[in-house]
Amino acid sequence: MKRLRYNVLHETRYAYARPVSLSRQMLHLTPRQTPRQITLEHAVDIDPVPAERRARRDYFGNLVDSFTVSAAHDELVVVADSTVEVTGREAADSPASPSWEHVRDRLHQVGPAPLLEPCQFLYASPHIEPLAVLGRYARLDFHRGRPLFEAASALMQRIHRDFEFDPEATTVSTPLETLLKERRGVCQDFAHFMIGCLRALGLPARYVSGYLLTLPPPGKPRLIGADASHAWVSVFCPGTGWIDFDPTNCVQPDDQHITVGWGRDFSDVTPMRGVILGGGEHTIEVCVTVTPEAPADRSPIAGALEPD
Amino acid sequence: MPRQLLAHYPQTDTRYDELLSGPWALRPHWRSLFDTLVRARPEQMQERLSSMRRQIRENGVTYNVYADPRGVERPWELDALPLIIPPDEWEQISGAIAQRAELLNRILLDVYGPQQMLEEGLLPPALIYGHSGFLRPCHGMAVPGNIHLHLYAADLARSPDGRWWVLNDRTQAPSGAGYSLENRLVISRIFSEQFRDLRVEHLASFFATLRDTLAQHAPQSDGPPLIVLLTPGPYNETYFEHAYLARYLGFPLVEGSDLMVRDGCVWLKNLSGLRRVHVILRRLDDDFCDPLELDGESAIGVPGLVEAARQGNVLIANSLGSNLLESGALLGFLPRLCRRLLGEELAMPSLATWWCGEEAALEDAIEKLDKLVIKPAFPQLRIQSVFGQDLDRRERAALIARMRARPHHYVAQELVQLSQAPVWDTQHPRRLAARAVGLRVFACASPDGYVVMPGGLTRVASERDARVIAMQRGGSSKDTWVLTHGTVNTFSLLRRSVGPSELVRAGTKLSSRVVENLFWFGRYCERSDNTARLLRALIAQHIEHGDIADHALTRLCQQKGILPKDLDDASIGDLEAALRAAALDAAQPGSLASGLHQLSNVAFSLRERLSIDNWRIISRLADDLNDVPTELGEVLERLDRSVLAMMTLSGFALDGMTRDQGWRFLSVGRRIERLQFMSRVLREALADGGDTPDWLLELADSTITYRSRYMTRPQWLPVIDLLVADETNPRSIAYQALGLTDYLARLAAHFGTIESAALSDAVADMLALRADADFRAGSPRLLAVLEALGTAAYTLSEQLGRRFFSHAATPWPGSSS
Repeated sequence: MKRLRYNVLHETRYAYARPVSLSRQMLHLTPRQTPRQITLEHAVDIDPVPAERRARRDYFGNLVDSFTVSAAHDELVVVADSTVEVTGREAADSPASPSWEHVRDRLHQVGPAPLLEPCQFLYASPHIEPLAVLGRYARLDFHRGRPLFEAASALMQRIHRDFEFDPEATTVSTPLETLLKERRGVCQDFAHFMIGCLRALGLPARYVSGYLLTLPPPGKPRLIGADASHAWVSVFCPGTGWIDFDPTNCVQPDDQHITVGWGRDFSDVTPMRGVILGGGEHTIEVCVTVTPEAPADRSPIAGALEPD
Repeated sequence: MPRQLLAHYPQTDTRYDELLSGPWALRPHWRSLFDTLVRARPEQMQERLSSMRRQIRENGVTYNVYADPRGVERPWELDALPLIIPPDEWEQISGAIAQRAELLNRILLDVYGPQQMLEEGLLPPALIYGHSGFLRPCHGMAVPGNIHLHLYAADLARSPDGRWWVLNDRTQAPSGAGYSLENRLVISRIFSEQFRDLRVEHLASFFATLRDTLAQHAPQSDGPPLIVLLTPGPYNETYFEHAYLARYLGFPLVEGSDLMVRDGCVWLKNLSGLRRVHVILRRLDDDFCDPLELDGESAIGVPGLVEAARQGNVLIANSLGSNLLESGALLGFLPRLCRRLLGEELAMPSLATWWCGEEAALEDAIEKLDKLVIKPAFPQLRIQSVFGQDLDRRERAALIARMRARPHHYVAQELVQLSQAPVWDTQHPRRLAARAVGLRVFACASPDGYVVMPGGLTRVASERDARVIAMQRGGSSKDTWVLTHGTVNTFSLLRRSVGPSELVRAGTKLSSRVVENLFWFGRYCERSDNTARLLRALIAQHIEHGDIADHALTRLCQQKGILPKDLDDASIGDLEAALRAAALDAAQPGSLASGLHQLSNVAFSLRERLSIDNWRIISRLADDLNDVPTELGEVLERLDRSVLAMMTLSGFALDGMTRDQGWRFLSVGRRIERLQFMSRVLREALADGGDTPDWLLELADSTITYRSRYMTRPQWLPVIDLLVADETNPRSIAYQALGLTDYLARLAAHFGTIESAALSDAVADMLALRADADFRAGSPRLLAVLEALGTAAYTLSEQLGRRFFSHAATPWPGSSS
């Protein structure tokens, strides 16, 4: 099986017009372990050096770093440097799955032995309202009795066809209704939209935050910084588990997608979120570089990643 | 029986009557009070009513209806007659409420812990995972003593068969306990004998238990734990109660900006530094408590609070996330959960309620819409409750469409016929009327399980709609008398007498936010006064001479931003419009009206520290400027009234406030503002070169003094002496500068040296001025001193801000992708 090794450099640089006297930040920048992904090395450098720093796991099991900078500063730089090893998918693109209605009914079954883990991802969340109109959009692919993964794959393809990538069209708070009308946005919007469609049908879907290796055009060198923080969707089926779909690229993530974490939507896994005192106007610069690395003789140091 | 009282009291058989058990048949526990009413002469009852109103007014009991800084405070509505509950009936109610509090606490422990009830299918995942009040960052957090709910309230109603039902649970920050207490103080005074003879249970020991419970579970500390009451601020509808409870329980009343988190602990910022906070009794909603981990848009929370609680360094009561159980959707699952968790039957039923997020329930609710009330599923949703029977065809269709689009936002609840209780008809001296009532009861955790307050807040529906009980919609309230067979526990938290060792004098424990507001209150008062005086002089000039375009006063107004810069070519009409706007247009920055608006905002946030008279003056003043007269003469009259009002306000500050550090900051603010103003005015007048202008003494309110000292027209030498050098003239430069120096020395004695070199240098130069050489229009030394003092005032303000108020700044959140 194919195993690929990547180095991910995720730099965030805030520049403030006036000094910031206190800054508290929460980071979701540590790639989590999955059956197909191991983190070999990981470090987050923060400048200025924080007065307090803690790591823990959040409700969804993602690793969170929180820190406080209490010295006055007019620039804050956070650099996350990770080396991960990703194993390619074994299964077919659309593994055999029961009908989507079967999955829906199983998850909504009232009584003992509920499937609690996927149930976390069935309902409205801060950025995703599973509106009935989204359900109607999705029903064009979710015919009666259609296997779940086949239908989800068709939905992903239709979103890819119907929507245009446009970094200027939306903000973090653009509602899904507007998105449906305008049909333009970025990966985060497409992921939110597809999740909204699935949840509107009563199906569990989660938001995956991560990175993507953008392949350079043949003969040209890789452009440093051309890559960005990425997002896609994961759909649950009893018996199979979670299967990823990337509506932005119309692919099922394989060995070129690096997972950082997941949650109900962007708000659960925001790479960097914080509160500052002072600062005035600010500019923010985010730069992600994913470089393939030759596999070396290194063993995983997973133990070192446990929060203290 | 004397029927006059009941002549207009509706006899009903469709609802339970608290007073009558049948036609003209009085329930026995009402007998004694009813006899009192029958015997009372009309004057006596009138006297009781006015005593009640007086107490409410004097205690300043209010309830905010809208979030508007002016005219929002409605006096608390209270009916003279209590709701009386006999001992055996109360025993059932209190037993049921204690059980329910215990049950809800156990559910919270499970949901924020192992989620066993979900695993067992006793609680549908939808109700927890689909609830926007389920705070994931709070999952897995240990709560001291396994207590999530320290204070709990339930809204009860009585159905026609006499049974009590639970309508709502209040689990995150129940309001009303303070109002119950206030109602009790008022009503027990106007019916003092009946109160004693009927053996009514007292409320105080309940609050003592609450205080003890909070202290007992506080994190370890060397001394007694510091417990604070956290309020969203004076705009909140129940702010009066927050302030009242804080005083009653002896907890500092704080806002989010008074607190900060450092080293994982919570600190109260006050003038002398930081004090560790051990317990927060909060009246702030869950989501708003921490912009870092909860609602990122909250500007009133404390960043890092969740982490401090997670580390066990602060006790938050009720625990963060307890809002979850206020959802009506859970009610239907309580009987099973009670059997499972407590091994007993639920003692008091909840009104039947369904969550529309489940498809079957949605369809059922739509079908039976006429018999239901549709409510928001989660309290965070700003949705009004709607009675299905009130809707016409179109409204009904619209509601159904909304419910189908967002079924998870709605619950449907059965209607209950509320019981009726007698209220005193204030229009007619000898008549009882009837209103629908509901009862809010309270429980608090104690080492022996939950304790229920023997009493509660009886809420009275308005006359218009007997189905809805809401203070926001014109409802009223009653005291609740729980009778006992035993002896009454007369423990009191209100001290009857104070010993010499308990005397309290003004301390330095004022919060930075309060002090900053006092500082700005001083500055804005003075600034408004100055603006009013400037405009008054200018308009008088205009009326007299018709031309003010190239006038020192006009230039002053332009420098101060009161008038626009480009007036040179203005027509008379434009000029008059500009003058009117400068006085009355609140939307124009720099105008008197906008200054008063700022003053009124600052005063609003100081409500707890300013007497009601201050408040009355400010709101009357703002109202006075509201409607715009066309005649400049009328504008002039209003300016006169403003100047007068400002003098009254400064009289209050001088005469009515204790000389604590807060007062000192208010005075410093006032003097800084006046020093800047006088320095500017004098420089402008001197720059004109010519004779002493008439308006100068007028602006400085020193005309009378001048006339009493000198028989001449104003001349520079005596005018400069009076306005610059005379330390006894409260408007003079020397008076401000020396006063500031003195205040700074006093502040320094408490807080250490305050950097003020610029001021002391300028003061030294001022004292070195010589009357013979420098008290004239062309003196460069005089001009330099005036300018240096103006700059020093500005610098000092900045320095005080950095030193004492900078940590009171509001944080703002952000995120990156």
